[in-house]
Amino acid sequence: MIWAQSTSTDIIGIANIPVLWVLALAVFAVIILQSVIYLIAVKRAARAADMTQREVNQSFRAGAVAAIGPSLAVVLVSVALLPLFGTPPVLVRIGLIGSAATEVASASLATNTLGVDLGGSGYTQAVFIVALMAMSLSGAMWQICTMILTPLLGKGTDVLQRVNPALMSIVPSAALLAAFASLTITEIPKSLAHIAAVVASALVMVACLLLARALSQAWLREWALGFSIIGGLIVAYFVHYAGYGAAA
Amino acid sequence: MSSNTTELAALDRSYRRTIYLWGNLTMAACLILATAVPFYLFFTVDVDVQVSQIVTAFIAVAAVYGVFWVVEPVTYFPILGPAGMYQAFMIGNIANKLLPSAIVAQSTIGALPGTKKASFAATAAICGAAVIHVVSMLVLVGLLGTWLVSITPDEITLIAQLYILPAILGGVTVQLIATLKQVRATIIALVISAVVILAIVPVTPPIMKSFAVAIAVIATIIATWFLRDRTEERRRAGAAAQGSAAGSSTPPGAAGGRDDDSTT
Repeated sequence: MIWAQSTSTDIIGIANIPVLWVLALAVFAVIILQSVIYLIAVKRAARAADMTQREVNQSFRAGAVAAIGPSLAVVLVSVALLPLFGTPPVLVRIGLIGSAATEVASASLATNTLGVDLGGSGYTQAVFIVALMAMSLSGAMWQICTMILTPLLGKGTDVLQRVNPALMSIVPSAALLAAFASLTITEIPKSLAHIAAVVASALVMVACLLLARALSQAWLREWALGFSIIGGLIVAYFVHYAGYGAAA
Repeated sequence: MSSNTTELAALDRSYRRTIYLWGNLTMAACLILATAVPFYLFFTVDVDVQVSQIVTAFIAVAAVYGVFWVVEPVTYFPILGPAGMYQAFMIGNIANKLLPSAIVAQSTIGALPGTKKASFAATAAICGAAVIHVVSMLVLVGLLGTWLVSITPDEITLIAQLYILPAILGGVTVQLIATLKQVRATIIALVISAVVILAIVPVTPPIMKSFAVAIAVIATIIATWFLRDRTEERRRAGAAAQGSAAGSSTPPGAAGGRDDDSTT
């Protein structure tokens, strides 16, 4: 291995340093600043959209209430990911900007190029930095594209749609399905406990989605991923300590 | 009457100026701050990380997500509008939190999608969602997160670390399949992925492992394109030939239909 000089696996030790906390809090501050500016802008211009101040306030409150469930689900996932990435990187990458699924998949893709599994025995500080760098640069590209595309789309929304609407409607879903299918299947040969975690998580999700539809409980759909993760980890716990786990 | 119209137009112009100016400023600031996190570690932590390793890792991520850098903003724009775009790509968790918030708000005040009122309602709703999200992340993850992890016994932390990825992937894959409802593409993706990961990777040089997901993605896109259901296209082509201009396609994963452009 190339990693002869840097074998420390103390991720938290380098991820929780004060400078990174300051950067994470600054990102939060920028988001709050943007929300305040935009809310004031909406209130000022509301009349131009035939909207009353009361309706602006109602929209703000409805959005806030609708976000409680999903936010707690994101918190649950974030807490589970703290040992992998440390608090400031989790706050910035999983809590904000990205999403748990995208960032964990990106980190996993990045560590795989070094022949290491995310959170596995070879997951050293160096591997962590490479993974975080790849996640962050990918996230940065997302934001750069948004900054470039938003004004362009604002000027002519339908131009891009006209180029090839059929292809545009196929590529994103096919890419997403293939990415998650192959990432999931990659877990299968690792150990029985890995298989158990995948299957349990998938079954809990199926149960949540069926129950959500049968009982018309939309909140269950929002919480489903959190429950799936807990279900997957509980089953993995028993299979692992029954002696069928991965070599840690 | 005309002075009133002029006044409203002026209000609208100043709204748009504010949205674009502050959208770009805040997003640029967020981008720089967030990207500074790994760069700070890269330059200060004394471990052997080579630029070539970062480039390789970035290429592996870009091979899977590169298409989304462009496709996702294009897909969400008609639903979010300009203001929502700058908000959503900073706050993240678009499909699982921001879109539901915007839709709940629009139905609460009865704003029809595609109207300016709906776009304003979405922006106000995302502001509300942002406040809830920021507070919950700061308190429950930032302040209490490490404590929550520290009161957890080591053997459980070990399990979380070892199996968090399969525990997320199983559920997310099911949710994705259920959300997209594309049986044909799902079967193609599962078959191709299984062949690439379980049959091709084990018998090829180790370098294949790095690009296995990318190969599966590209092969699935090609196969899905050539094996797509063309009856809908033919029907639409027929409708278009009859002079109907209704050819709006619903983007996958998008919560609402594509309405009029929200360039207002």
